[in-house]
Amino acid sequence: MSVDIFLNLTIRGLTTGAVYALVGMGIVLILQTTNVMNFAQGDSGMFITYLAFFMITTAKVPYSLVLILAILAGAVIGLIVERFMMRSVRSRSHLSLIMLTLGLSLLFQGLAAFLFKTEPRLFPPLVSGDPIKIGPVVLGRQDIVVLLAAIVTFGILYLFLYRTKQGAAARSISQDEYAARVLGIPTPSIYMLVWAIGSAMAGLAALLIVPRFSLEPSFMGLIQVKAFTAIVLGGMGSVFGAAVGGLIIGVVENLVAYQFPAIKDSFMLIVIVIVLLVMPQGLFGKRSQRRF
Amino acid sequence: MTPSRLRRLMVNSSIAALVLLLPLVFRTRPSIIGYLNIAMLYAIATQGLNLLMGFGGLVSLGHAAFMAIGGYTAAVLVMTYNVNMFLAIVAGVATAGVFGLVIGFPSLRLSGFYLAVATMALGSSVADVIKRLEITGGDYGLINIPSLRLGGWELASEASRYYVFAGIVVVVFLAVRNFLRSRSGRAVRAVRDSEMTAAAMGVNVAAYKLVTFVFAACIAGLSGALYAFTISYLHPMNFGLVFSIELLSMSIIGGLGTIIGPILGAVFWVMLPIVIGGRMEYLSTVIFGLSIIGSVMFLPKGLSELVTRIQTRLKL
Repeated sequence: MSVDIFLNLTIRGLTTGAVYALVGMGIVLILQTTNVMNFAQGDSGMFITYLAFFMITTAKVPYSLVLILAILAGAVIGLIVERFMMRSVRSRSHLSLIMLTLGLSLLFQGLAAFLFKTEPRLFPPLVSGDPIKIGPVVLGRQDIVVLLAAIVTFGILYLFLYRTKQGAAARSISQDEYAARVLGIPTPSIYMLVWAIGSAMAGLAALLIVPRFSLEPSFMGLIQVKAFTAIVLGGMGSVFGAAVGGLIIGVVENLVAYQFPAIKDSFMLIVIVIVLLVMPQGLFGKRSQRRF
Repeated sequence: MTPSRLRRLMVNSSIAALVLLLPLVFRTRPSIIGYLNIAMLYAIATQGLNLLMGFGGLVSLGHAAFMAIGGYTAAVLVMTYNVNMFLAIVAGVATAGVFGLVIGFPSLRLSGFYLAVATMALGSSVADVIKRLEITGGDYGLINIPSLRLGGWELASEASRYYVFAGIVVVVFLAVRNFLRSRSGRAVRAVRDSEMTAAAMGVNVAAYKLVTFVFAACIAGLSGALYAFTISYLHPMNFGLVFSIELLSMSIIGGLGTIIGPILGAVFWVMLPIVIGGRMEYLSTVIFGLSIIGSVMFLPKGLSELVTRIQTRLKL
C-alpha cells in the first residue's frame, strides 16, 4: 500500500467514521443518562429523512430550513417518546424500555415502507460540486460537511454536558439516579431534555449522511450496528468515547476493506469480541458496572 | 373431580382436538398448514429467545444467526457428506451451542448491553461469513435441500410435517418449562430479578447466564435445522439482523416470560400478513411495531395475558 493510498483511505475512513460518530453520540447520550439503549435512533432519523426528502423535492422548501425542521422533528419525537412512552413504563422493568425502542424502530420502518414504498431514492446533498483535492487526498464536499458536523455536534454536546446546569444534572443522573433525585434534580425534565437532544441528533445525522447512501427504509440499519460497535469500543457511556470509537472504526474498517475485502462486514464482530476479551471497559470507559 | 378442573380439562382437550384436526379442516388448502408449520418453527426459536430474555433477562439480537448456523450445518452435512439426517440435526444443534458458548463467554460477564451489541454484531456478521464460504453455496444460497425424513419415512406433505412439528413444539416447550421449574431454572430467574441478590445466595451468576445462553442457542439451532429441511432452501440474507429482530418481536408480542407466549407470537406474526394480504405487506410491519409498543405499555405479558384474562373470565 503506497503512502498516497494509505492517506486517502485514512481520510475517507475518517469521514465514514464521522457518520458512525454522529449516530453513536446520540445513542450514547441517551444511554448514559436514561440507561436505555435506543434502537430506534437510526430509524427515527430515517423517517425524518423521508419527510425531508418530500419537502425538498416536492414542496421545494430551502435546504437550510429543512435541516432545522429535521432537527426540530427529531427533538419532538424524542419528547413524545419520553413523555408518553418511556415515563409510564420506566418503573416497571428495564427490558421493557428497550423493547419499546425496538417497537418504535419497527413502526418507523413499517410506516416508511408503507407510505413511501421501498424503492431506493437519491437524496440531494447539502453541498454539491467537484471533490476537493488537498495534496494527494480527494474528498467529496458532503463528506467534509459530515466531518465538520460531527466535530460541531461533539463541541455542542461537550458544552451542554460540562458547562450547563442541565448537563451537570444529566451526568449526575448517569452516576446515580437515586442520589440525583435525593439532591433535588428534577429527573423527569432532565430525561425529556436528554431524549430531545439525542433524538434531534438522529434527524441531523440521518439527513447529513443519506446522500452517501440511498434513501430506503433500511438504510440506517447497518450504520446503527456500526455505531453500536463504536460505542462498545469507546466504553459505553462517554460521548467522547463514542466519537473517537466511531472515527477509529471508520478508519480501520476502510483499511481492512482494502487489504482483506473478504472480512469487511464481519470485521465488527471481531472488533467487539476482542474489545470484550482484552479491555471490556473500552477505550474511555470506567471500570464500574451498571445494572442493566 | 371439581367442576373447575372438569371445565379446564374440557377446554384443554377441545384445544388439543382442534390442533390435531386442523390439517383435516384445511385439507383443500395445504398452504395454510404450510404457514402454520413455519409458525411452529419460529415458535421453537422464539421459545429459546423467551427463555433467554423473558426468564433470563438477557437480550439477544442475533438469535437468527444461531438458526442459520444450525440450519447450514445440518444441510451441508446431509448434502455434502451424506450424513444421516437425524445425526445432522443433532450436529446442527451442537454447533449452534458451541457458537453460543464462544459468543456468550466474553460478553456475559459484563452488563447486558454488551451482550446485546455482541449478538447484534454476530447477527449481521454470520450472514456475511456464510455468503463468502463456498460450501454453503455462497450468495446463491443452498438449494435443493432434501426434505425431512424420519427413519425410512419421508415427510413430504405439509400435514405430515405439521404433526411432527407439533410434537417437537410440545417437547421443546415442556423441556423449557421443566428446566425453569428445576433448581437451575430458579437460579436463572433469580439472576434475572437481581444479580446481586442471586450472587449473595451462592448462585454462580456467570455460569447460569452461560448455560441459559447456550441452551437458547441450541433450541435456535434445532429450529434452523428443521427449517432447512422444510423450506429446502437457505439464503444467508434470510438470517440477518432483520430476522433476529423479528424473532424478538414475536416473543414480545406473544408475551415474554410465559411458556405459551412464543407460539401465540409466532402464529400472530406469520398469519397477520396473510390476513392483511400481499398488497398491504408493509402495513403488517406497522401493526407489529404498534403491537410491541402496545403490549409493553398495556399488556406486559403480551397475547398470553389475553389468554390468562379469558381463563379468569371463564373461571378455569
